[in-house]
Amino acid sequence: MSEARLADTGVPAGSSGAAALTLAGVCAAIGAEALWCPAPDVAAAGVVAADLMSDVLVDARPGFVLVTGLVNVQVIRTAAIADLAAVVFARGKAVPPDVLDLARQMSVPVFACPDSLFETAGRLYAAIGGGRAQPGAGRPA
Amino acid sequence: MTEAEFVRAYEIVGADFTNAGRASTSIKETLKNMGLASALIRRVAIAAYEAEMNTVMYARRATMTLHVTPADVTIDVQDEGPGIPDIQLAMQEGYSTATAAMREMGFGAGMGLPNIRRNADQFAITSEVNRGTALVMTVHVG
Ligand SMILES: Nc1ncnc2c1ncn2[C@@H]1O[C@H](COP(=O)(O)OP(=O)(O)OP(=O)(O)O)[C@@H](O)[C@H]1O
Ligand SMILES: [Mg+2]
Repeated sequence: MSEARLADTGVPAGSSGAAALTLAGVCAAIGAEALWCPAPDVAAAGVVAADLMSDVLVDARPGFVLVTGLVNVQVIRTAAIADLAAVVFARGKAVPPDVLDLARQMSVPVFACPDSLFETAGRLYAAIGGGRAQPGAGRPA
Repeated sequence: MTEAEFVRAYEIVGADFTNAGRASTSIKETLKNMGLASALIRRVAIAAYEAEMNTVMYARRATMTLHVTPADVTIDVQDEGPGIPDIQLAMQEGYSTATAAMREMGFGAGMGLPNIRRNADQFAITSEVNRGTALVMTVHVG
């Protein structure tokens, strides 16, 4: 998987009409770096932004992308428990190897973004629309 | 206990944040291998994870036991620890005694116990101060 490929696919393969944002689309919308993302065409059902993991477990639905300023193994475990589509680590925080290893092991795609949680979540809100995949989303401006 | 019951117990060590969540992850995997519906598995996994994290954060040790029958999935958690002096208060959304260090790790929203109750079809909690806390949560299959 290359970043170029991530940047140019924003719409899930085989979808028609109401296109959902894909992980590639998420990545492009916020200018993130894919640290591990074996399947960029996977759909993002919505977005949840939080630093407290129980809030994630209350708010997120399956297939959501978690945007967080927290970087530790519990973020990955929480994402796996809640069937999330991916984790975006905002604020440009370094992602330690044990976190990346667990992400691979648990099949949780991970992205890193240099911007604040507020900005990152804001861009995703604009791209995806309030936590629901909406028609026309997925093509970052 | 019926013939068809599957039982598996997990030992949880207080303050072991490296392994915290492993038992719930294993429970999730076990239920997946049994072919149960993903929505049901997710509810059980979330409830188990919240209960597991509570014992890691607040108790010295705990045993978490998974029981599966054709009719339901039950998770039973018994810990040795400080207990909960006011269960009604602890069940309130937002109530937390998590330390600053726990909050830095992403805990302390005060949403764990309410979230367990929300995900379970049946939920019971009992506690004795200076002894420990017991939780039983059941999700019906089908
Ligand atoms: N097993 C336990 N032993 C002792 N006290 C507990 C136990 N479980 C919960 N508590 C008490 O109940 C409070 C509320 O628990 P709850 O799981 O709802 O929130 P939290 O653990 O503080 O935060 P969160 O679960 O959102 O990360 C805890 O802060 C703690 O004081
Ligand atoms: Mg808790």
